[in-house]
Amino acid sequence: MNKKILIIGGVAAGTKAASKVKRDFPDSQVTIITKGEHISYAGCGLPYFLGKVIKEKKELVVRTPEEFKNEQGIDVLVKHEAVKVLPEEKKVIVKNLETGEEKEFEYDKLVLATGADPFIPPIKGVDLENIFTLRTVTDALKIRKLLDEGKVKKAVIVGAGLIGLETAENLTHRGVKVSVIELLDQILPPFDREIALLAQKHLNEKGVDIHTSEKVTSFVKNENSKEIIVKTDKGEIPADLVIMSVGVRPNIKLAKDMGLKIGKTGAIKVNEFMETSMPDIYAVGDCAESKNVINNEPAWIPLGSTANKAGRTTGLNLMGTNKNSFKGVLGTSIVKLFDLNLAKTGLSEKDAAKYGFDIETVIVPAFDKAHYFPGNKLIITKLIADKKDHRVLGAQIIGEGVVDKPIDIIATAIHFGAKVEDLTQLDLAYAPPFSMAVASTITAAHVMLNKLEGKVKTVKAHEILDKLNDENVQVIDIREEPEFIIRSIPGSINIPQTELLKRAASLGLDRNKETILVCKVGKRAYMTYCTLKYLGFDKVSILEGGITAYPFELE
Amino acid sequence: MKELYINARGMQCPGPIMQLHKTLKDAEPDTEVVIEVTDSGFKKDVQAWCKKTKNELVSLNEEDGVIIAKIKKKS
Repeated sequence: MNKKILIIGGVAAGTKAASKVKRDFPDSQVTIITKGEHISYAGCGLPYFLGKVIKEKKELVVRTPEEFKNEQGIDVLVKHEAVKVLPEEKKVIVKNLETGEEKEFEYDKLVLATGADPFIPPIKGVDLENIFTLRTVTDALKIRKLLDEGKVKKAVIVGAGLIGLETAENLTHRGVKVSVIELLDQILPPFDREIALLAQKHLNEKGVDIHTSEKVTSFVKNENSKEIIVKTDKGEIPADLVIMSVGVRPNIKLAKDMGLKIGKTGAIKVNEFMETSMPDIYAVGDCAESKNVINNEPAWIPLGSTANKAGRTTGLNLMGTNKNSFKGVLGTSIVKLFDLNLAKTGLSEKDAAKYGFDIETVIVPAFDKAHYFPGNKLIITKLIADKKDHRVLGAQIIGEGVVDKPIDIIATAIHFGAKVEDLTQLDLAYAPPFSMAVASTITAAHVMLNKLEGKVKTVKAHEILDKLNDENVQVIDIREEPEFIIRSIPGSINIPQTELLKRAASLGLDRNKETILVCKVGKRAYMTYCTLKYLGFDKVSILEGGITAYPFELE
Repeated sequence: MKELYINARGMQCPGPIMQLHKTLKDAEPDTEVVIEVTDSGFKKDVQAWCKKTKNELVSLNEEDGVIIAKIKKKS
């Protein structure tokens, strides 16, 4: 009894593990050691603190060290760095960062919750003034000060991941002209390209300048204007503020130094009980590896939701009485960018291909509420399923409507191993203000089944691009003329549905040509496809998701 | 000057834009048409349509999820 629990790191996972173990085993002696000044803070809220959605710093701090001590009897040492772990002696050498003094702490159980640090690429000039990362409250306070003083007119964000783009939105709301530079050929790397392109379109409409496939080569200070000149392989952009947001890396220095096994993702290897390769040492949160629930492959997806779940598991397991296991992750994530919401769960199309699955995908626009109910908004669902056994492998949902509900439905379904057929059977909540009578998820599953059963042949948006200049292919937009006038795919021709069916019946349509039917969401094209098939046209296909999901240039 | 009203609530695309198109086609120049729509895509569509057809979009508002547009036929 009276076991000494030492926890290194005190944001989400560390404080969660500490709280849980102390709650279940009140006689344990729990100490949290953390390098930073703040503990238990809402790191994910930092972009919104810059945008003043969150007004004051205190709103971000979930709990203070004093609260931990007074309410829970947990000791918290801030501004203390664990410099070395001596596993044989069960001791940790801790340095007080204010006095420089070093002290030894004994433990019975040690928890590493050392988190992840922003990755800063070795670019020349990256250490210039007014170039920041956005990971800690301290970072956010410095940036917020510059914004509040009106010193930032234009900013460059390096990296178009979730945090980078949330920051882009928040800076735009503060009246800052934002440019985002991304090394990869798309923004939001966890999403598939066509979904990312739709998001990019929206960001452009909102005034955010996005540069993909562009590499920052150096930062130079203009001594006259005090601006930072961001030089890239394609040009240069002046900025008053630069935020480096190229991702985070697990902080594994302590673990490596003491010889803990590191997984192939680069994070600390743990089992489902959050135990590391050494006895009585646990690792949890952003520094620890996890597992992909779909294929049991190692996964490292640092998120606050995972850190809290795994932190609880660790707290429960520390005394070794009842072993609680953490099954792993699906990579579920969600982000709001201006009026647009995006979410994903499970494998993306490119992940699935990487892992060698033979997959089918569909893209299906639908409404988030009854189509006649005021306030309904469009959402586009991309489903990814295993061709062989029809298991749902992943989904991505994008639109101005509600996306969190359907993505959570699909995440739950995937967690329990659902097949596409199972999705069509779900008894989901329905009334006009909340859903369509056939929910968007169920519609997407129906389209997927049609495709899996060979009832419809479709063409994806990127495939149509190559065919637009092919004279053996006709891309026919079957919408009404006023719709076609508004926006259409360059190179497509307009023959409204009724006119097309007339021509097809009277042999006024070339059946030897490959024909791609385009409509707004894919529904009219599918109905027309069925009729044409019946009339003996066999070289017909439809554009998946119609004009709505088409991410390339329209005229 | 004449003002016409179209209730296109509950209509799915292309319903609202088709109604507007037909109404304006038959109307005299300078006629103003007010249309109420619940299809959320209409907001962007009506802007683009007016621009391309050179009809004037006098106003565009959203009240409790209902899009209300006022369009004046070109003279």
